[in-house]
Amino acid sequence: MRVVIAEDLALLRDGLTRLLRDNGIDVIAAVRDGDALIREVVANEPDLAVVDIRLPPEFRDEGLRAALELRRRVPGTAILVVSQYVEETYAAELLADGAEGVGYLLKDRIMHVADFLEAVRRVADGGTALDPEVVAQLFRARREDAPLARLTPREREVLGLMAEGRSNAGIAETLVLTVGAVEKHVQSIMSKLELPPAASDHRRVLAVLAYLREDV
Amino acid sequence: MSGLAHRLSAPNTYRRLGFLLSAFVLGHVWFLVLVIGWSLCASVLITPLVIPALLGLAAASRGCAQLEAGVARSLLDVDAPGPGFPHRAAGFWRWMGAMLSGPFWRAQAYLLVRWLLGVPLATVLIALLAASVGLIFAPVWVLTGDGAHVGGWHVHTVAQALVFVPVGLVLLPASILLGALVARPFQPLARSLLAAESPSAVSPDGAGGPPAGRVGGPPAGGVMGSPEQRRRRRTGLRAHAAADSLVLALLIAVWAITSRGYFWPIWVLLPLALALAIHGWFVLLGEHPEWVNDIFRSRAIAGFAGVCTAVELYLIGVWAAAGGGYFWPVWPLLVMGATGAVWVAATWLSSPRHDELTERIDTLETTRAGAVDEQETELRRIERDLHDGAQARLVALGMSLGMAEHTLAEDPERAGELLAEARVGAEQALRELRDLARGIHPPVLSDRGLEAAIAALVSSTPLPVTVSVSVDGRLPPVVESTAYFVVSEALANAGKHADPRRVTIDVRQVGGELELEVTDDGRGGANPQGSGLRGLRRRVEALDGHLAVTSPPGGPTTIRAELPCGS
Repeated sequence: MRVVIAEDLALLRDGLTRLLRDNGIDVIAAVRDGDALIREVVANEPDLAVVDIRLPPEFRDEGLRAALELRRRVPGTAILVVSQYVEETYAAELLADGAEGVGYLLKDRIMHVADFLEAVRRVADGGTALDPEVVAQLFRARREDAPLARLTPREREVLGLMAEGRSNAGIAETLVLTVGAVEKHVQSIMSKLELPPAASDHRRVLAVLAYLREDV
Repeated sequence: MSGLAHRLSAPNTYRRLGFLLSAFVLGHVWFLVLVIGWSLCASVLITPLVIPALLGLAAASRGCAQLEAGVARSLLDVDAPGPGFPHRAAGFWRWMGAMLSGPFWRAQAYLLVRWLLGVPLATVLIALLAASVGLIFAPVWVLTGDGAHVGGWHVHTVAQALVFVPVGLVLLPASILLGALVARPFQPLARSLLAAESPSAVSPDGAGGPPAGRVGGPPAGGVMGSPEQRRRRRTGLRAHAAADSLVLALLIAVWAITSRGYFWPIWVLLPLALALAIHGWFVLLGEHPEWVNDIFRSRAIAGFAGVCTAVELYLIGVWAAAGGGYFWPVWPLLVMGATGAVWVAATWLSSPRHDELTERIDTLETTRAGAVDEQETELRRIERDLHDGAQARLVALGMSLGMAEHTLAEDPERAGELLAEARVGAEQALRELRDLARGIHPPVLSDRGLEAAIAALVSSTPLPVTVSVSVDGRLPPVVESTAYFVVSEALANAGKHADPRRVTIDVRQVGGELELEVTDDGRGGANPQGSGLRGLRRRVEALDGHLAVTSPPGGPTTIRAELPCGS
């Protein structure tokens, strides 16, 4: 897997590069601003770009803007946005044209190396990785929703993991359940929320997110 | 006994003695300076020359006190920097106010004490020392001349003289020790009266100058200056009055003992009373700054009115003491009255917006002080949060890592646990820092504006909230952040105290104003003076905005803010 990193702080850039390389991921470039990122991605077409939101020159959301531009200019590139803070607004912008190959995680998650690498691979393979914090924000926004209120606590947990972009196997592992049990929960959730059964994981993410983000 | 011998051999005993003796010369000089200075001021009182005369006196007093501070430092071992001289940078009138402020009066008091108490003490000490030396050398005088007088006796023979030698030998160290003892109370006196220029004295509202700290005074003290400042001013006035009374009592005693004829102390009483009256007037103005606005309209006029009144009373006193007759004080009264009337008229008529401007300045001063105060509180809170939160977590994290490193070789399993602990600690530290950063300035606010920031706020609160935001594009950053904090504080308050079933947030831009209204149907009774709402009010008022809180017991609570969003 070939990866480009865009992160302005040398400490984090080098740390991330080392972490990925140590785990057999090929970091072909590590740059410090959005323009360099776009140049690298356009030139080398990596499988994945890992992008910090806050980049020079303004240190606002340059990284996010660069990521959105990449989605337009090099549609096949998977993008994993990492940041010190997460906002549902940014997630919405990132997911605006599809959840395929999109990730948005707090930098804190990098510390759970195994989970982080799993998320990196998932996003690079066209999956989704949404930070639990974003999912929690989505849930709070929909707290008065009647169908959502009908879910059991376990089903809510499963729904949250679905929204994060996990596969059934991933959910089963996290919750220490069998894959069969997870499938049953998923079916029950889909019918309670009146969502069509989805053919693939990323379709399912889209459906779940669309449901959660629908205005009350 | 050994204690006394020790004291006799200690160098500081002799330095103190030197201090007492120095008053014999210095005290007389200070007396001359004070008498000449104040006489000069009094004689040119109603002419403009009084300004250079007063400044000359101030400079001379400060110079003399500076020299006394040097004496106190070297002979009394007191850390007395002396009054010094204020900087001239602030403009002539402010400088003059500073020259005539507290340190000037304290210097006067010190010089006066050095003359009043110092000279008699030095005289007695010199007499004692001279007498004891005389007694010790009595035999020599008998041998070289025709004897000596001791008290009433005439000593003729060496044998007689020898009797007095031990008396002298006891009297000399006794005088030295007594002198050193008597010099001690001068230490606290020098320390307090020869202190350095207080910073406030150089500012426009120095103690001697007109009213108290209207500018930059912390709101705790309001427009009256801090309680500490007021206390110091009152103490200064009391010390001044006490010093005057002492001088007067002394003069009256002298008058009573001597001639008892014509009551000449009246000529000292009158100028002393004049100086005290002027000093007292400015202290009084400091206590009642509202007089300046309500009655006099300006500090300068208030000061002028007080000084003129004091001077006129002084002149009437002079007239009466001189035996009455033709009432000449009417002329200076007319001149001063006319000057004052022209000045008042000019001040009132030339600026019809005077009231308005004064009010505006008052508002600005109050709101600025509030904003500065609020900022200070906020910085302290951030420092505390950092210290107790992330910093402490990082220390704990470092310790876990250190322990893991230490146990890695012998107990890898334990090291693994410690590493996991360290990671959890790092996550908590990150979370706390993130919350703190969001509390200072949420990134989404600068990146995406008010609407997105309020949406983020709403999605992170457990309360049921209805939001309506109608704003055209981006507002000035400071308006956005203030509006954000109004909403955030209102939501936090509602969540903490009100237990509402519904909260509505309504933000809309109307012309050049941003109107915010946060209403909850909770139990009400919010205290508008609580620290949170007070902080909000200060932030809003610093932008010339308005904050209104209505929260009757039983609810609903409405927090309404209007923020001008022009430049």
